[in-house]
Amino acid sequence: MGLSYRLRLLIVLLSIVVLAGGALLFKNILIPDSFGIYGYYRADAISEAALVPIRHWTNISCFKCHPYEAKIHKNGHHQTISCEFCHGTYADHVENEKKIGTLPVKKEKEITTLCLKCHNTEIKARKEEVIKTIAMPNHLKDQNVKLTHNCNQCHHVHAPLKYIIRAKQITRMMEAGS
Amino acid sequence: MNRRSFVKKVLNGSIAGSLYLVWPMGSGSLEILEQIPEQIPGIRDKEYDILNQEFAFIVDITRCIGCGSCCVADKREYNVPDGNFRTWVERYVKGFSDKIYVDSPNGGLQGYQHPRTDIEEKIRDTFFVPKLCNMCKEAPCVQVCPVGATFTSPDGFVLVDEKRCVGCAYCIQACPYSVRFIHPDKKTVEKCTWCYQRVRKGLLPACVEVCPTGARKFGSMKDETSEVYKILKGPGVLTVLKKEMGTFPALYYKGARREVI
Amino acid sequence: MDAVHSSTAIAISNYVFPNDFHVHWSMMIVLYPYITGLVDGAFIIAALYYLFNVKSLRPVARFSLLFALAFLAIATLPLLLHLGRPERNFNMLLTPSPSSAMAGFGYIYAISMGVLVFIVLFVYRRDLVELRTKSKGLMKFLYRALTFDSIDLSKDALELDQKIVRFLVGIGIPVAVVLHGYVGFIFGGVKANPTWSTPLMPVIFLFSACVSGISAIILAYIVIRKIKGRSIDHGCIKTCVQTLTLFFILAFTFEMLEVFSHSYLKSGYHHMVEGLLNGPLASSFWLWQVKICSIIPLFTLGVLGLFTIKKNIYNFMAAIVSAMLLLQVLIMRWNVVIGGQLMSKSARGYTEFHPEWFDKEGIIAVIIVMAIPFIILFVLSRIFPFWAQDNETNVK
Repeated sequence: MGLSYRLRLLIVLLSIVVLAGGALLFKNILIPDSFGIYGYYRADAISEAALVPIRHWTNISCFKCHPYEAKIHKNGHHQTISCEFCHGTYADHVENEKKIGTLPVKKEKEITTLCLKCHNTEIKARKEEVIKTIAMPNHLKDQNVKLTHNCNQCHHVHAPLKYIIRAKQITRMMEAGS
Repeated sequence: MNRRSFVKKVLNGSIAGSLYLVWPMGSGSLEILEQIPEQIPGIRDKEYDILNQEFAFIVDITRCIGCGSCCVADKREYNVPDGNFRTWVERYVKGFSDKIYVDSPNGGLQGYQHPRTDIEEKIRDTFFVPKLCNMCKEAPCVQVCPVGATFTSPDGFVLVDEKRCVGCAYCIQACPYSVRFIHPDKKTVEKCTWCYQRVRKGLLPACVEVCPTGARKFGSMKDETSEVYKILKGPGVLTVLKKEMGTFPALYYKGARREVI
Repeated sequence: MDAVHSSTAIAISNYVFPNDFHVHWSMMIVLYPYITGLVDGAFIIAALYYLFNVKSLRPVARFSLLFALAFLAIATLPLLLHLGRPERNFNMLLTPSPSSAMAGFGYIYAISMGVLVFIVLFVYRRDLVELRTKSKGLMKFLYRALTFDSIDLSKDALELDQKIVRFLVGIGIPVAVVLHGYVGFIFGGVKANPTWSTPLMPVIFLFSACVSGISAIILAYIVIRKIKGRSIDHGCIKTCVQTLTLFFILAFTFEMLEVFSHSYLKSGYHHMVEGLLNGPLASSFWLWQVKICSIIPLFTLGVLGLFTIKKNIYNFMAAIVSAMLLLQVLIMRWNVVIGGQLMSKSARGYTEFHPEWFDKEGIIAVIIVMAIPFIILFVLSRIFPFWAQDNETNVK
């Protein structure tokens, strides 16, 4: 080819400009459509975040099928406790209105460990009215109870003072009906 | 309608039964949702105006008992891999010499059942501090993300676009509160989202839901009856973490002491 | 931040945020600034010759261009190895966030690669045309492509080449400054990390980059010429060492200024930096980076600059100093990148870093990544002769 040196250089320069320009235009095709609607991000990500499956469905979702426990729970001191915290999430239990798994019920020593997560006096609750705490094994000694006892042998786990109050009413330590 | 307006309508929930259209129908979740009364007033009964929302999260240190229920609920809600934490609870022990000892065994997942045995001086006070994403109004993580994968949504939530994240971990370096981590399997960044999907359906975030003492509070600042509105608008000291960083968090602490960082 | 300064509390507590235990930016991120630094330093040598007409640098001018090219070619590799999702790396080209320093990578790299490749082509055009006439087959085709299929070696053409080279080197300097400076700003712009967030970070990075690049050229030149049994141009080495001295004094001064002014001011979270430098990093910072690899080379460079020394001893000392400074810059990068992440954002503790051997960011990977540019350099030497015709003096 008889092109002069300068002309060749010019062709090279122009090709670079054209290629670069073309690439910059092409990249707009590859950017997702919802990019830039609200800001420098893909707006679809917001709806994707809004559609993440929910796993905890609050106590009300439990009460529908467990009315007996519901009645006790709602009237006890543990009414602010989430069922799903001790037992597991609704999503692991029910899907499409059908039971897909059994949620564990804690037994014996597991119950004591779970209770102490909140009620251990080591926790040093900020104010007494927030939560009542006890120290083990002092609490058992104070109540004249065997040191191998678990919490649920005296306390109903869903309404912790239910049996205590009833026992006190029976033994006349407390007025009936209170 | 073109794609842009379609997206806008889905986001505002205005397409008739749009929740039906885009929800994975298999879980039957719409039925349950209808039975649960809304926990954040004003979200469900109308179109979600994404440009006109403001939420606040308040953590009340005077009520936290360090039980770890929030951490457990969060881990279960999102199947958070071990060793990574979207939220955690710290224990601060203050001695009479004014020295502070902080720990967070496994992020507080098992709660705090034993006192610290390695402190030799007399202890003056112990308190617990839950930590989670601060949803900064001027988030440094959003500023440094090279590909626009983390962003502040118009309703004030800092979210991560899992499909766009390249896993460079720059946002993790930039976050002054260490709330982000790289998911070991997905290899992208994850963090607390204040349970965005729950809030959109008028439910409280999972950690707020299970907190037995009401140490975590969440609500809409557009709802003047909400607890957070009353606390934020009333007298009383509310602090934020690392104020000098200039991130303007939307997470406030009530009763937090100077030593909390 | 009260009561945080107590060292006993930190010693007992050593409280690290639960998400802070893992060090996310590992050895590949130490390598990336190191590699772009070598590119920048080598380019400085070439720029001094081609733009500022420092004639004594003629023997290494071409070589330093090829050296820079070899390292720039693999600059992307450590980053791809680091990314959690490397297959999405094009997102940085498609939607680079304007507020993020890191987003600059794709475009800055492409521009600097383009500029450097064309500088090499125009510098070498005369030799390539001559080689084209002497070769056959595939090599001939390659040479034709590299010279734009032109055999014009007239005075006009060569003068045009010179002008183009000067122009390209002229724009190459700010491009090179941005190429490494933006890396410095990636760190400097992170307010959450007390070691990193300083306006001096891009400056320190740039000056130490020049130190590493010039040292690399000196060392490579001496080693390669010795292996081939060729002479070493003393004037060239002397100029390189003088430039090196200048840049190293600047780099070291700024590095030390950073540490000392913060330890004097004692503001913000800098008690954490002191605890870091006197604790987990005591050996790698004070002993290795400062005492062994900075103070000793500083004195050696002083001796080389102030006294007249016999040629052979001078060259030998220059090689040793260069090797030590290459190590100094690598250790400095390590202390900044990895050391900076050892501080937990709790301002109350430090975590540990354990380098893996077989990880994609592990020690073996580092060795392979650093070896590849030398292979590239070897391939380049088969296409572009390192030394000009009159530089081929053999040593007896």
